[in-house]
Amino acid sequence: MTDHTLGALDAIDDGPLPSDPQRAPAPRFPAAESDHPSIVALGARFGDAILGQRETAGDQHVAWIDPSKSLEILTWLKDDPDQWYDMMSDVTGVDYGGGRPIEVVYQMYSTRHKHALRLRCPLPVDQLEIDSVAPLWHCADWLEREVYDMFGVTFRGHPDLRRILMPLDYEEGFPLRKDFPLRGHFSRAEQTRRALNQDVDRFYSEEILAQNREIQGAAEPELGKRGAKDGGS
Amino acid sequence: MGLMDKLPGGGSAPTSGGIFGQGSPTFLTSKIDAIVNWGRLNSLWPMPFGTACCAIEMMASAASNYDIARFGMERMSFSPRQADVLICAGRVPYKLAPVLRRIWDQMPQPKWCISMGACASSGGVFDVYSMVQGIDTIVPVDVYIPGCPPRPEGLIYGLMMIQEKIREESLSKHFEHRSEDPLLVAQPKANEEEIVGLTGPFGNSTRQERLSSGAVPRGETPEGKTRRNPIYD
Repeated sequence: MTDHTLGALDAIDDGPLPSDPQRAPAPRFPAAESDHPSIVALGARFGDAILGQRETAGDQHVAWIDPSKSLEILTWLKDDPDQWYDMMSDVTGVDYGGGRPIEVVYQMYSTRHKHALRLRCPLPVDQLEIDSVAPLWHCADWLEREVYDMFGVTFRGHPDLRRILMPLDYEEGFPLRKDFPLRGHFSRAEQTRRALNQDVDRFYSEEILAQNREIQGAAEPELGKRGAKDGGS
Repeated sequence: MGLMDKLPGGGSAPTSGGIFGQGSPTFLTSKIDAIVNWGRLNSLWPMPFGTACCAIEMMASAASNYDIARFGMERMSFSPRQADVLICAGRVPYKLAPVLRRIWDQMPQPKWCISMGACASSGGVFDVYSMVQGIDTIVPVDVYIPGCPPRPEGLIYGLMMIQEKIREESLSKHFEHRSEDPLLVAQPKANEEEIVGLTGPFGNSTRQERLSSGAVPRGETPEGKTRRNPIYD
């Protein structure tokens, strides 16, 4: 093997490096300098709550906003006739690691004005709470559940904040956080035991379960339940 | 003539003719094993458990070009109660593990299981927190088909290996082959040590087990960089 290859293997042996907390964040500019009419209007209306703006990937305009004002800002963006962001394309999260804030990202589109806009709310890692926008855009319901599931961000006022991708009783943490080990916290044996002890019926809503009971009538003995009661081997 | 002479009528042909033409006998003698196994192996009904791209190849095997109906498997049984072979085609996340186990428990004996593809057999490239590392930790597997995904020929070869297995079974050993402990329903098929051994980290994933923050994950000693695999060490 060449020295170059060996060097690369040593680098693998060191494992993933923690993100550098000293690295300067991407530059941000005042809202008034933006080309995007909505960001200029946001800056004029909310002032200091708009932390900065930037243009990325050609023409994608991004604005950082104060998370404590996020609901006010998003309500105005949805209802103001000059903004009218009636479509919430995506709500997601980003963890940059190294103790830096976890950001909740809102990707919106105005079908009336044909404008796309991305808002980002930096949340300190010890205070992961933000107002839910599910009452404004119903599609944000599941998207916020996903952010909660993967990053542990709590959405205040969300109608049904449960895990959505991972099992409902998942106890290992929030998988997309940078400090989450790739293979999870528990051993494979423990993960397998917990997986098999899940109550499959909990995946379904009470409505569907009631329909099923009606169809089946006198239910057959439930095979899966017995093991769960014994508490595993 | 032995047997023929002892039969009523001295083995003479009935008026309607025998199975091999006029004058031949109207019956065959055989071993009960041979008859039963012949019936079983030529009418294997697969229970398709397709979760990923392997399922596409499984569908191709069932379609006219490859046509597993040639081997008596044309009836894909979408109900586990009427199925003989569980074909697990694709990756199985932990959230789906109890579903797979319940389907296996619901299938009546005699039953067989095929693990189709790299992900079902070993977790494949998905050596991550959410994925079952080989369905043999959940259910007993008769045939593993390698490939990513295997071609339809691979699946047909696997099914024919099951047929070979059935051909060598004996009814006298039925309970030896196929007894099932009811207390083990919905329990992991492998014990804890086996699961840790089967799913031990390999390659670069040993390094990825550590946290990016440098902390030592649970179950790993600070001295040992890699977790030892009890099977191979």
